[in-house]
Amino acid sequence: MMYRILTYSALFAATLLFQVFLFDNLSISIYFNPLVYVAFVALLPLDAKPVVVLLAGLASGVAMDFAMGAAGINTIATVLVAFLRPTILGMLYGRDDVREEGVPSPERLGTRVFVEYLVALVVIHHVVFFSLEALSWSHALHTLLRIVLSSAASLGFVWLIARIFTAKLPVRV
Amino acid sequence: MRKLLEFIRSIYVVVLFVVLEVAAVSYYARSSYYTEARLLARSNRVAGGVRSFFGGIRRYFMLGRENRALIARVAELEEQLARYDEAENAARLDAYLSDIGESKYHFAAATVVSNTVNRAQNLLTLNRGRADGVVEEMAVLSPDGAMVGYVVDCTDRYSVAMSALNTSFRASGRLVGTDYVGSIYWDGTDQHVVLMGDVSKYADPQPGQEVVTTGFSQFFPEDVLIGLVESATLNETRTAYTVRVRLAAEISRQTDVVLVCNRDLWEIRDLQQSEQVEQYTRQD
Repeated sequence: MMYRILTYSALFAATLLFQVFLFDNLSISIYFNPLVYVAFVALLPLDAKPVVVLLAGLASGVAMDFAMGAAGINTIATVLVAFLRPTILGMLYGRDDVREEGVPSPERLGTRVFVEYLVALVVIHHVVFFSLEALSWSHALHTLLRIVLSSAASLGFVWLIARIFTAKLPVRV
Repeated sequence: MRKLLEFIRSIYVVVLFVVLEVAAVSYYARSSYYTEARLLARSNRVAGGVRSFFGGIRRYFMLGRENRALIARVAELEEQLARYDEAENAARLDAYLSDIGESKYHFAAATVVSNTVNRAQNLLTLNRGRADGVVEEMAVLSPDGAMVGYVVDCTDRYSVAMSALNTSFRASGRLVGTDYVGSIYWDGTDQHVVLMGDVSKYADPQPGQEVVTTGFSQFFPEDVLIGLVESATLNETRTAYTVRVRLAAEISRQTDVVLVCNRDLWEIRDLQQSEQVEQYTRQD
């Protein structure tokens, strides 16, 4: 248990640092704004209680808001994703299997389910984030393009983070 | 009683979720660009050093470009100096000129430690703060004197400026060679282009024409270069042009900026808000 808290604190710090000091500094284009810190919520253990996931999402969202200087949109998006995570897992994977232990990974869930799971989380998160940031329908197409391109980029990076994170861990955690 | 407890147990995650989301949404709804600048200024207390480190790396890769710009600037100033030398001779004859005192504008230089262009509300963090004489509402210009943004919040050692690439940014612009003015704003789409709205239909802006600031906005000195006209479209009622202006300063590549403060700004503002002036503007 202690060990798990340590590794997840490290993951929290790593996603936060990557987001703030790498991805927020890329400044390549307004259409390319990957939000990779959602990986933290995605990789919480399968048997974590819904309330723990929710609070973890809150912590991650508030930390990102503070670091990025965004007044709440990270929190809104991340808390929503954290709330929906158990439901999404249940729908994609089956409620009974979810109760067992383990970190979400291609090995644990099957590659197809795992990818669908990541797509669902990242897309929900990005849709909420970018539509709240735009707050108008006047550039709906433009916002949609931002969502699609940034989600695709985030998905790639979240996948990478997931591979690295699960590779470092012993088989049973 | 046990039923009730069980019921609460089954829905407390939902309740917690709703409470958190309502709190976050209401905080976001009451926020403004100013809240965001303030948050970023606070987080700089913690992360300012690390941001400076990454800013330093970025800076290193831009040294060559910066050097060329500086050399060009030196050449330009040398030319001006030569012109002043000539003028000095003429001025010596005219020795009765009264002392005009110190310039109305105060200049300072700062380094950009963090800068985004990929959000709708883009902010620049600068490594100069109140301790260095930076105050809110100072204009931020690129080293070659083009408009970048203005300072919205400072701590002792850092300040946060709103760049022109911020949907809350407002300034006023004028087409060079004419008296036609318009309001400058960003629509959040292209990081190289801002819009100038409400330009008179008689203005007839030509591509390549320069757009400069007016003295109206108070943040910026007069005649600071904003950019070049790219294209212009008449609005549906054919009463005004919306002009696309290609920014002269490439905001994503700014590493050093010049801060300009209008020393008279507060004096002018105090004067405008003085009771005596108000007496004459009050509607009875």
